[in-house]
Amino acid sequence: MGMMMLLRGLYAIWLREITRATRDRAQLIGGVSRPLIWLLILGVGLNPYFRGEVYGEVRFVIPYTYLQFLFPAVIVLNIMYTSIQFAVSVIWDREFGFLREILVSPLPRWLILLGKVLGGSTIATLHGGLVLILARFADVTLSLEQMFMALGLMFVLAFGLTSFGVILAARVRSFEGFGVFSNTIILPLYFTSSSVFPLDPALTRAQMVTAYPEWLVFMVQANPITYAVDALRGILIGFNQFPPAYGPAVIFGMAVVFFVIALIDFSRT
Amino acid sequence: MNDAAVTVQDVSARYGPTIALDKVSLLVPAGSHFALLGPNGAGKTTLVNILCTLRRPDAGAAVVAGFDVVKSPTQARRSIGVVFQDSSLDDRLTAWENLEFHGLVYGMASKPRRAMIESVLALVELEDWTHEIVRSFSGGMRRRLEIARALLHQPRILFLDEPTVGLDAQTRQRIWCYLDRLRQDTGLTVLTTTHYIEEVENADFVCIIDHGKIIAQDTPDALKTRHGNRWLHVVPQDEAAAQAIAAQYPGVLKLARNELALPADQGIDTDAFLSQFRDRLKEIRFQEPTLESVFLSLTGRELRDRADGQRAADKSAGRRGGRR
Repeated sequence: MGMMMLLRGLYAIWLREITRATRDRAQLIGGVSRPLIWLLILGVGLNPYFRGEVYGEVRFVIPYTYLQFLFPAVIVLNIMYTSIQFAVSVIWDREFGFLREILVSPLPRWLILLGKVLGGSTIATLHGGLVLILARFADVTLSLEQMFMALGLMFVLAFGLTSFGVILAARVRSFEGFGVFSNTIILPLYFTSSSVFPLDPALTRAQMVTAYPEWLVFMVQANPITYAVDALRGILIGFNQFPPAYGPAVIFGMAVVFFVIALIDFSRT
Repeated sequence: MNDAAVTVQDVSARYGPTIALDKVSLLVPAGSHFALLGPNGAGKTTLVNILCTLRRPDAGAAVVAGFDVVKSPTQARRSIGVVFQDSSLDDRLTAWENLEFHGLVYGMASKPRRAMIESVLALVELEDWTHEIVRSFSGGMRRRLEIARALLHQPRILFLDEPTVGLDAQTRQRIWCYLDRLRQDTGLTVLTTTHYIEEVENADFVCIIDHGKIIAQDTPDALKTRHGNRWLHVVPQDEAAAQAIAAQYPGVLKLARNELALPADQGIDTDAFLSQFRDRLKEIRFQEPTLESVFLSLTGRELRDRADGQRAADKSAGRRGGRR
């Protein structure tokens, strides 16, 4: 099979996902409204409380406003939702027969999966990119270089999470089941990723006294999304809670591991 | 005409303890219209799935267009077009987008792809619907679009699994006409599965399959000559009459709706039977040798014994519920 033919097939599968996504209004509305809600309501609401008083002097807990701190996490949240929700497209193909049209085609299985995951990652990256439009509102100034680095990392993250969605789809039989399932996964992962609060109390003297409980620290540190959020914070606002190399390493690791598992699953169908 | 388009040798397939195919062997000559006839659940779809490489046979070998379906599935897939029993269109895409997808996936270059898409759309008379979303299509339109799609990459063999379910007689006729012409012009081989007798009368070869076994395979005429009895179909007025007939004629077959069938040619004097039971029958009908009666002779059952409607309803319910 020639390279050209493989590329055509890959493009066809990718294009189909994009076309379907642009016709899915609900998904688009979710992609726009979610960051607005998080940044406008939670971000603005909690902004004044994100500082401590030390010797009568008001300071930020970390040297950023809450909106700035939250901003990269909301990008990750948008990517998580769109990526994992992508599993619905996989279930849809299986339930409504389109999968057979793809499976009797001469394309190899890995290419079919790659095309689908690339399609899903593209959509998720776009949804993450929508949040970047709100950067000025969150007081985050971005250079072009920062923007491209962020988008690149967002794409790899989306690739890993979309593969994760495909893995879930292989284990869930129905759409309804998946709806419940995805929410019970996404929100806990999001909340324990140090997205809405900084982890390290040592950052401020004011918070030292009220240390976090051990279990929460463990959950945050064990959660791969923590490092994804940290990596984006590093790029967008220059703040890292962990060594800067951790983030990209975890993001790339997830992409490889989840895609391989998804591929093993998919080859069995 | 002397090449084999499809060769199946001793193929078996099972789903858990259920045997779907039991050492099936058949040969489809290139350029022929080959029909696989049998009731629902006979194993037709399983065989089609094996031939289009969606399922591996548990035993035996199948060769499609010269390629072994297990050893070189990719080449085999390239040579076939498939229309599945259930729709496999993306109903959120337009007709054009569905075909464009198919053309790209089969590696067709842009120019010939466009030309072919236009020509197959014209063939199934969907030109006016080219840029409509498939969701708004009727069942018949979807079927036509699927047939167009299966022909898009100019396959050497076309598999049609219960192709005309949901098609009106006119469309059906047109599609067969076109497929016949295509067979003559390009040597396309057409393999259909069906449980409708009318579908297979025009086939070059008919293969009758039941309970996963092939019970006869020949031209329709040869089958009728060899196995086609004249049958006398009667409906007794009451149970007592039915029992009396069964006692006197052991060769009688019990069919659905209290119908009984007697082989009229095999030493049964129908005149004597009728004069004896005439008053106790509600309905009397002679069935001339057709493929329907061939099936009855070979299996002792009518092809439509089973409640097709019920099965179809079950299946669509299963699809909606998403458990399969």
